[in-house]
Amino acid sequence: MLSRLLPVLFSFLWLVACGLRPSSEEVKTAERGPNLDSLRARHAALKGQLEQQAPAGPYILVDTARNRLYVKRRDRVLLTAVASTGSGTTLENPGRPGTQWVFDTPRGDFAINSRLTNPVWVKPDWAFIEVGQAVPKNPGDRIEPGMLGEYALGFGKGYFIHGTLYNRFLGKNVTHGCIRLNDEDLRIVHKLSNIGTPVMIF
Amino acid sequence: MRPPLLLIRVLSLTSVLLVASPAAPLESDAESLREANRVLEEEVKLAARRQLYLLVDLSENVVRIKGRGMELHRLPISAWSSAEREALRRLFRLQARPAISRPRTVPEGDPLADLIDLRDMPMEYDLRFDPPLIIAVAPPARERPLLLAKSLAREWWSRVVWRFRRDPAASGGPPRLRLYLSQEAAQSLAWSLADGMPLLIRTPSPS
Repeated sequence: MLSRLLPVLFSFLWLVACGLRPSSEEVKTAERGPNLDSLRARHAALKGQLEQQAPAGPYILVDTARNRLYVKRRDRVLLTAVASTGSGTTLENPGRPGTQWVFDTPRGDFAINSRLTNPVWVKPDWAFIEVGQAVPKNPGDRIEPGMLGEYALGFGKGYFIHGTLYNRFLGKNVTHGCIRLNDEDLRIVHKLSNIGTPVMIF
Repeated sequence: MRPPLLLIRVLSLTSVLLVASPAAPLESDAESLREANRVLEEEVKLAARRQLYLLVDLSENVVRIKGRGMELHRLPISAWSSAEREALRRLFRLQARPAISRPRTVPEGDPLADLIDLRDMPMEYDLRFDPPLIIAVAPPARERPLLLAKSLAREWWSRVVWRFRRDPAASGGPPRLRLYLSQEAAQSLAWSLADGMPLLIRTPSPS
């Protein structure tokens, strides 16, 4: 008797349960409602606004911890280059006691603001002090051609992306803050960039 | 007779489970979207200001270094804890990078003799923000138990000092978020930070 009743009982319970539970479509409209829909619409709109902030053209990305420079367009990597970035060391400034130079590559969001071909290096004070030489009085004595490679791309405050004579140090933190590349990579970066090209450094 | 009975039992159980399923996941969806939208609203403003910023995404366990809305680099979070989730939902600015000992260049010395490296960065440190927030970064206990113990001891001591200096009835200092990062991730984060860097935290919706 019980074995006959059980299926009937379960069937009854199941039918009751089905009747109590709204269909999945009803759930969507009743429980999710306009609030969830408006949140989703807002989410999509905000994501769109954020995507619009990304550069439309190529941009330069520099990973100073791993000494890599990338040229990217959106998510596409156009160039991966081994670079040299700031050494992080300090040097006392004897001209102004109590102050020092810190040789870091600056972190942040910059843009190319100058593009020089066959640049000459105008040696700053620290370049002389570092090697134990007197700082020259004649500005002409500061000029040193051929040190920066074929191009120099300035991104503000005296910092440049430029070439190097010391290819063996690429991949290491050895510079005074500038970003060094080998000749071939520098040529590609020069070709792909322009005034205003973003340079993001972390 | 047996197979239909079994089938009916299974169907009954399934229907009971379906009826009993709460509306919590939907509520959670809405809460999660609200939180995602809050973070996105702040990101849109930061991205327009042309500055790199940090997004600590606790819902996906990742620290993102971002610029112009794009993810530039990501660091996985092994684990995290915070007792004050609501207090994390605002824009913060880093007061200062973690202190590092920088090698000095000696005139006429070899400038390449002592260079700084990612491995010179600290693995265990506190980051202080404005408005007041402390992010304590430490390696997971399984990696460096002593460093974690040091970090926890410093947190306990700072709470004691806070109580002593402030109103004894006040709570134990600024809100805290403890991030457990692998050794490399902790050092990478310390390396990439800049003074004044904005910080956003995306908190997970309650489960």
